[in-house]
Parts: sequence; structure tokens; C-alpha cells
Amino acid sequence: MTGEPVKQLVDADQFRRTVARIAHEIVERHADPAGVALVGIRTRGVPLAARLVEHIERFTGIRPALGSVDIALYRDDVSSGALPVVGETDLPFPVSERSIILVDDVLYTGRTIRAAIDALFDYGRPPLVQLAVLVDRGHRELPIRPDFVGRNLPTSRNERVRVRLAEIDGEDEIQLVNQETA
Amino acid sequence: MPTAFVVTEDGLVLEGRSVAADGTALGEMVFTTGMTGYQEAVTDPSYHGQLLTFAAPMIGNYGAGESAMESDRAWTPGVVMSRAGNGPGSGGPVGWCDWLRAQGVVAVEDVDTRRLVRHLRDRGAMRGGISTELGPEELIARVKEHPSLDGRDLTPEVAGPRRIMGTDGPRVVAIDCGMKRSIAEGLVRAGCRLEIVPAGTSAQEILALDPDGIFLSNGPGDPAAVTPVIATVRELLGTRPLFGICLGHQMLAHALGLRTEKLPFGHRGANHPVRRTDDDRVEVTVQNHGYAVVGDALPDGVEVTRVSLFDGSVEGLAAPELRAFSVQYHPEASPGPHDARYLFSSFIETVA
Repeated sequence: MTGEPVKQLVDADQFRRTVARIAHEIVERHADPAGVALVGIRTRGVPLAARLVEHIERFTGIRPALGSVDIALYRDDVSSGALPVVGETDLPFPVSERSIILVDDVLYTGRTIRAAIDALFDYGRPPLVQLAVLVDRGHRELPIRPDFVGRNLPTSRNERVRVRLAEIDGEDEIQLVNQETA
Repeated sequence: MPTAFVVTEDGLVLEGRSVAADGTALGEMVFTTGMTGYQEAVTDPSYHGQLLTFAAPMIGNYGAGESAMESDRAWTPGVVMSRAGNGPGSGGPVGWCDWLRAQGVVAVEDVDTRRLVRHLRDRGAMRGGISTELGPEELIARVKEHPSLDGRDLTPEVAGPRRIMGTDGPRVVAIDCGMKRSIAEGLVRAGCRLEIVPAGTSAQEILALDPDGIFLSNGPGDPAAVTPVIATVRELLGTRPLFGICLGHQMLAHALGLRTEKLPFGHRGANHPVRRTDDDRVEVTVQNHGYAVVGDALPDGVEVTRVSLFDGSVEGLAAPELRAFSVQYHPEASPGPHDARYLFSSFIETVA
């Protein structure tokens, strides 16, 4: 495959509309946002979860709980030698009493999500766990599917989907990076 | 870290630092001398309605995680510690304080737990409170409004759904009054097909399952108040071999016409020596009970089989003609010494 190494797929405007739409879908499926907790998967899931919480509060007047998980310890595919950096997991609500929506930027093999579910269950047993992702790029290696999807972007394995966020990267956009030519 | 208060209903006020969820926890203040098994303890449904003080000075030093869950959630609403650890370890990848917070448990450290334990030993178990939001006077007032554990049947609040464990061997039906997971695992490991039914299941329904043996689980609250299950046990007595642990032991005693009384400050820990009356051997056992069976005036055919070497209280019963026996202590340990694990096999041998 030839072509430009980095292609913008979603610009800042589309990006914001997509996040708002996911928030609407969450509200549609959860009559009581007070019983919901959004849990961002580090790194880029965390600001995304925070934005969803803001939207849901604006739409309903009710602010769902917000948390984060760091799954470095739980990955089953960490290559030997590279010690995972342990970050912070923060779940400041009763995990066993909330419907939890995991939030991540890109859904790919599903291993990150499996690890995040493992992490959640070390803290407690939530009655419901759902998954919201900004991009589903396919190539699943585990039986995991998202409940809320921003964009379905079919990709090849030698491409990479790069989500950039204003909070971390200075601006909102989604890029497709061709790793063969990049 | 914000200041938190620990109080008892008779006016003892101690200060500590909040290390988990914010809020106010009320209940019966008890203490355990166990040095390990903190996560098993707070997820043991027998601690429902109790605030747990750890007498050991350092708690939480080997992490927390899914593998140490004795049930689906933490049951004790509040925990009092001298020092709390919060790092990952062999017990799991989660910090103990982080885990408590995620479970909604109010927990404090830097409390003078020796003073609190001595207070409870001198004056007996009593209601208490832990709060990150109330001052001592208001907290004591709330504690005094809180219902006492005495006379309360808490089994309907903790019993799980109907479920089956194990595939081979004799069929055992367990009446779940707040059953620890490791007790169920102990029975299955001894070789049976275990069907667990919630407290409140009638004797007819249980016998309709055609069991080879019946098990009575541990659980919270005042054993004298668990009258529906005691009535069921009375109907089941003699129909099948029967084995009870902890609350199950106390319910069997009531069904046999004995009574229970409150212990001054309970038995909670992993080093309680118990003498077997038949061969005078001693088992070091794990215990968690605030009430004990009164052993005077035994009906015909009922024997005391185990006695506490700490205070002489009844720790085991048998009614051989009715094929029923029970122990007050915890043969499943989790955590603690495995001296008494043979009891699961003894029971399965009687039903096989």
C-alpha cells in the first residue's frame, strides 16, 4: 500500500460531535445516570471518560461517577524484558453497586479491555460492565465487542490509528498512520 | 489525610486518619486478632453489621484482589486499624485501602487499637461508629440510635442465590445463611456435589432435592433470632446426616433444644485452641463468633465434642443417633491453620 504516511480521518469538529453522540447513547440506555460510573483506561481513555461525564451532566443534570484504571499490570502480552510502568487506578465509588462503562480510545485486539475487566474485578464485582470506544478498528483476538462506538474504521494490521486529544496532545483528531511508509 | 473519629456507645472517643471511603459506618464494634486474611474477613458475610477492629498492628501489607473474596462484596461497613498498607502484593495487585474505597468501606488508620481492644475486652462487645464527617458527640448519638445486633436475624440479607458446585460424589444440600466461599470449596474438595439453597428454603423443598447429607452454613447476627431456619433444621433432624459450622452449629443447638448466649467480647482470630473431648487432642482453630452454645442441661443423646481452651465455652456438638454434628470454629480456615480441615472429609464419609 502506498499513499501518504499520516492521514487525518476525523477533524476536531467531527471528533467533538462523535463524543457528544456517544454520551447521548449512554443516556438513552441508562435511565438513571447516578447509577453509572465511567471508567477511563489509561492514558487516552481517561480524558475521554471525563468528557463523557461532562456531556451526560449537561444533558441530564446528573453527574455520573468518574474513575480510571491502569492496566499495565494486567496485560498478558507484555514482551519479556519490558517492565510495565504501574500507574494509578482510581475508583472513588462503590464498584459493586455501579453499572460501569469502560472508556478507551481505540479498540483493537481486545486484550486491553480484557485486562481492564480483570482489574475492575480485583476491586469488586459490578452488576454490569459496558464498553465505549472512540474507534473500533477491528482485528479482535478475544470475544469482546463495544456497546458504544464512535467510528468503525476498518484497517489493515500495518496501519495504526492514532487518537490525539486536546488534553494530552494539544488538539482533537483521529489519524491513520501507515507504518510501512511512515 | 482527613481526620476520622472512632467511638463506642459508652463514650470512648479515638481519632484516626481516613484511608478509604468517606462517610459514617455504624454497627457492633468487634475485634479480631488475626494477622492475615484481612480481605477474607471483611468479605465474610458473618461480619455483616459489624465494625471490625484489627488488633494486629499492620494490616493490608500484601495487597488485595479477586482471589481472596469470600463472597461478592465487603460486608463489614467499617474497619479500624493501627497501620494500613496500600501496595500490591501476593494477595493481589490492588492496594488494600484502594480496594476498601472501591467497596465503599469506611476505614481508618493511626487509631490506638490496643486501647480500643482493651476497652471491648473489659466492657464487652458494644455498638460503635466510625465517621469521616461527624464530630464525636453527634456520632455517639447516631450510634445509640442504631439497632443492636442482639435479636436480629440477618440471614435473609446475606444469603446468595441457588447454585450448584461440584459434579461427583454424594449429594449435599447446604443452607446458605451467608456461606463463605471457602466452606463450599472445602465440601466440594472433600468429594460431593453441592447444591446451595438460600436460608428460608423449606424442609420439604430441601428433601425434594433428595440429598444424601445436609450442611448448615456460617452467617451473621443473633443465632437465637434465626427462628425460620432453626424450625427447618428441627424438621430435617434425623432425616439425613447433618453438619453445621459456626451459625450452623448454633442453629443445630437451638433445634436440639439448647440455647445460645452472648460472649463477653467474642472469639475472633486464627489461633484459638480447642480440645476434643473424646481423645483430648488439641486443634488450633480459626474462629469468628460473638455468641456461644450453653452446654449445661444437655438433652439425652447430645454431647459436647469440643471445648475452647481459652474460656471453656462449647466449640462442638454431636447427636450421634440423629447423625448430626457441628463445630463453632472454621475448618476451612481462610485464613489460618488447617488443623480442622479433616472435618469436611469426616462429614462426606458419613453421607457417602
